[in-house]
Amino acid sequence: MIVLQLVVNGVLLGGVLALSALGFNVIFGVMRVVNLAHGDFVVLAAVFSAFVFGQFGINPLLLLPLTIAIGLVLGALIHYGLLRRLPPEVTSAEAASLTLTFGLSYFLSGAGVAIFGGRFVSVPYLTGAFQLGAISIPQARLFTFVVAVILSIGFALVLRTTLLGRAIRATSQNLDGALACGIDVDRVRTLAFAIGTAVAMAAGTLLSFIDSVNAQEGVLYTVNAFAVVVIGGLGNYTGAVLGALILGLTEELASYFFGARIAEAAPYLLFILVLLVAPAGILGRRTA
Amino acid sequence: MKRPLLVGLAIVVLALLLLAPLRLNGYWINLLYTTLLYVGLAYGWNIISGYAGYFSFGQIAFFGLGAYATALLVVDLQWNWILASLSGGLLACALAVPLGYVMLRLRGPFFAMGMFGMAQMVRVLVTAIPATGAGAGLSVPPNVDVSAVYYWTLAVCVGAIALTIWIDRSAFGLRLQAIREDEQVAGTLGVDVTRAKITAFVLSALIPGLLGGGYALFLTYIEPDAVFSSRLDLQSIVMAILGGVGTVWGPLVGGVVMTQVSEALWASFPQIYLMIFGGVLVALLLLLPRGIVPALTKRLGARRSG
Repeated sequence: MIVLQLVVNGVLLGGVLALSALGFNVIFGVMRVVNLAHGDFVVLAAVFSAFVFGQFGINPLLLLPLTIAIGLVLGALIHYGLLRRLPPEVTSAEAASLTLTFGLSYFLSGAGVAIFGGRFVSVPYLTGAFQLGAISIPQARLFTFVVAVILSIGFALVLRTTLLGRAIRATSQNLDGALACGIDVDRVRTLAFAIGTAVAMAAGTLLSFIDSVNAQEGVLYTVNAFAVVVIGGLGNYTGAVLGALILGLTEELASYFFGARIAEAAPYLLFILVLLVAPAGILGRRTA
Repeated sequence: MKRPLLVGLAIVVLALLLLAPLRLNGYWINLLYTTLLYVGLAYGWNIISGYAGYFSFGQIAFFGLGAYATALLVVDLQWNWILASLSGGLLACALAVPLGYVMLRLRGPFFAMGMFGMAQMVRVLVTAIPATGAGAGLSVPPNVDVSAVYYWTLAVCVGAIALTIWIDRSAFGLRLQAIREDEQVAGTLGVDVTRAKITAFVLSALIPGLLGGGYALFLTYIEPDAVFSSRLDLQSIVMAILGGVGTVWGPLVGGVVMTQVSEALWASFPQIYLMIFGGVLVALLLLLPRGIVPALTKRLGARRSG
């Protein structure tokens, strides 16, 4: 029974992980940038949500559109003002974008601590639990799972049906082809970075409903997002959702059976194994 | 600058660094030691990542292993600390061979993050072993003078620079650069790609492995989070990148400049240090995206030809 309970917890945690990973994935897909500041956007949104909730006591549901809007603006500004100005050559571009997002990560986590303090905080919302036989389902976890699923579906719809979504997919798949079709790649990148940041911040707000978060632990969520995306295959959005469920389950089960200290290694072990056995991800097709 | 002038400058700087512990007090020795530590780590990273183009976020694993190996040998077996540090370096090399064989099949960001994960796993593993004091750490008797550790680190740095100068001029270095530019083409031109990559990886592990032992004695108390510190790792990488990736002098210039910037910021703004350091980093990168050394040589070259 305890295993079933852990599975429920893991799956429900997977929802937020999936959402966070979607943001990471769209940025990598379109820009080939491993965004080392990703997790810092997640935790920043979480501590910001807790701060706003503590100060004004507004309905936590309203926090979501607020952080999404902030994420869109912040992401667009960061891409437009900083990332876009890096040199375009392939070899140094990778180094430069890694260094830049690393500096950004320092800046954001430092700013988070300076403004909101370095304590662990959360938003107390829906603290009860549904009882289903011997299994209890925390309301907040169920709620964040549902919201994360809705946001992910919305994200998928944008990618599949809108012109912007098609431009994003085209730029990810074939940069030269996209340029030849007259896609304004620069603008697509700015929008993709804005969307990726907004999604990360939405995940952060949801995270603050189910867990205590500290402005300094962004690295943890960067690694989680990276692990999820690697497990599912970079650029593969369905795979990322599956990867999130696998990671959520592994973390819950590992920390129960082996203790928190060993469970810390779970995401690393998972993604290194997947990288070595199936480098294109569990759903990925091998490309020549 | 002309060549004899550069050599002369290097000798003067080296002589000053050798004499420094006789004249300077603890604070300055600590600062010099910290600078050398970052410079050394940046040189180690520069071989596999700068020359061969394989960005590693996990070289700190070898540093931590060197530190733990040295601490255990000194505490449990009463080894001489220099011998213990050398063994730490050799252990790092020995582990780098199989690890490189597996991990170097990954490329680009996959290798980078794979190595990050590998370093974290090594850290977690070390905390799980009772002999290392688990997560609680190990204390090393403070029998060794800070200036001795400083000389050891200086020697490793000089060795790392000499190694890099050799790589930069040798056929081996050319092979690595060919791999960096296009691994497949390098392979078709007859470069034994796997062998060159693993050799570079082992050399990149040797340097942090040797530095780790000194760090254990410098700290006198080590714990996993202190010696497998991803911050130490990432900062040294950033220094190499800001100095100039894949250049002989980039890690030195970047390490010296950024350690001073970092220390000055830490002293002036302890509360918002991280934020300002991050901001400075971003600004420097946008000003000099290819690094300080390439920007300088380009300017000097332009003046000479103009």
